[in-house]
Amino acid sequence: RDAQSSAEGSRAVFRTAESDPANHGELHEGRHYNIALQEVRAVFPHGLPSPFQQQIKTFNEASVMVRKPALELLTYLKSSSFANPVIRYVIYGEKGTGKTMTLCHVVHYCARQGWLVLHVPDAHLWVKNCRQLMQSSYKKDRLDQPLQASSWLKNFKITNEHFLKEIKTQRKYMWGKRECTEEGRPLGEVVEQGLARVRDASDAVGVVLRELKQQSGLGAFRLLVAVDGVNALWGRTTLRKEDKSPVSPEELTLVHNLRKMMVNDWNGGAVVTTLSQTGSLFKPSSAYLPHELLGK
Amino acid sequence: MYACKFYIKIPRKNKNYFITSRRLTQVRWSRYNAQYLEPEVNRELLQKSWDELSEEEKAEQELKAVRPIKAAPSNVTSSVFSDPMISKFTNMMMRDGNKVLARSLMAQTLEAIKRKQLEKYHQAPEHEKDKIECNPYVIFHEALKNCQPVIGLCSITRGGKTYQVPVPLTDNRKRFLAMKWLITECRENKHRRTLMPEKLSQELLQAFHNEGAIIKKKHVLHKMAESNRAYAHFRWW
Repeated sequence: RDAQSSAEGSRAVFRTAESDPANHGELHEGRHYNIALQEVRAVFPHGLPSPFQQQIKTFNEASVMVRKPALELLTYLKSSSFANPVIRYVIYGEKGTGKTMTLCHVVHYCARQGWLVLHVPDAHLWVKNCRQLMQSSYKKDRLDQPLQASSWLKNFKITNEHFLKEIKTQRKYMWGKRECTEEGRPLGEVVEQGLARVRDASDAVGVVLRELKQQSGLGAFRLLVAVDGVNALWGRTTLRKEDKSPVSPEELTLVHNLRKMMVNDWNGGAVVTTLSQTGSLFKPSSAYLPHELLGK
Repeated sequence: MYACKFYIKIPRKNKNYFITSRRLTQVRWSRYNAQYLEPEVNRELLQKSWDELSEEEKAEQELKAVRPIKAAPSNVTSSVFSDPMISKFTNMMMRDGNKVLARSLMAQTLEAIKRKQLEKYHQAPEHEKDKIECNPYVIFHEALKNCQPVIGLCSITRGGKTYQVPVPLTDNRKRFLAMKWLITECRENKHRRTLMPEKLSQELLQAFHNEGAIIKKKHVLHKMAESNRAYAHFRWW
């Protein structure tokens, strides 16, 4: 018993009781802070990497390390003015250095501050291993991914429930020949439509992204776009069409819409992205610099 | 190994000999002659001073001054992490000489056991936390001890009929049977997609609590031996 309590006392050096990311400063650098498990389920339904989720299950607590790049990002976010066009941040580094965890730290901070968080856990999942590719009904030469889109919509709903009731659509959207969403309806209806009819899921995602981009500049809320593995959007895919010709990323609806979000022609938020070699396609395992992975 | 015609393998004093129809042939042999002694790996023995040693240990140390010593094999170390039972188990799990894979599977199994026990520990109420054992090595040793049979069966042929005779087992044979049963159980009776570490950790935890398929197998063997008590006099060693 005594040995255990003295061990816990010495381990307390590595922990900090400050669980609000807004108050994290340089003296918390290198220490772990705990996130309550209900918050983890609400803020990160799909965002945390799987080894970390295993750790949460084993130790019954989610403790995230406060890292220096995360602190830097938080100071930038706190001091940037949201009237200017969005600043796009890229987190890069070698494998296993904590890029995804830095992103999750920033997402937690923004969720605490009340921003609308658009978290894409791994963009690589959208460009590989897709069983069902359908031709898009909206544009003839694009391909839809119903499964990935519907799972993303489900998780998006969990993170941003309260926002979905407040934001209204600014245009009328037609789903197929008979159903449509009128102007002025809450965005939650678009999400419900995407979840109910899986065929329209990718288009629903596109609608959501478009509306959020247009309305974030008005100042009612701040939008954070967090994408992990952003090099997937500009790389190659392993998917093939029915005539065995390879699919380029522009032909996928999800990737096309996400690329539009990446352009900094909107304001009132931030774009934080991570480069990742681990899920990437056709890239050597020693590549980690932005130039090597993004190719531009 | 030399080919020979025989009915049963007779466990004689010197186990490295088979009885053939004509004469004794060597089966397993080493390049060291009988003078060579085994190397001392146990650190604690070396840290004891001369006065603390018992009589046999003092005699052993004096013998080492005059006898040559065998070279230590590469899988034997003085480190705190090395465990002869775990090494033996890893060797038995190995296939086609792939020791790297066997060792990593063993490490993953121990990690899986630790994770499962930690999960139980963190979710248990305060008064039950003491009873949960978290050390995977302790669980491994305890589980193996629970799986070892006490008595074994040997087939002896008399007058054309083969009888299953209950026979005492040596320590080595008991350990071998426990490990063999564990490994065959985990290789065969599992779902196609479960991995070896997961299945092994499950079986080890069940054996630790005296449940599971291997304990059942041991009980079946004991019952057979009990029911064949009448033939025990067929044994002549």
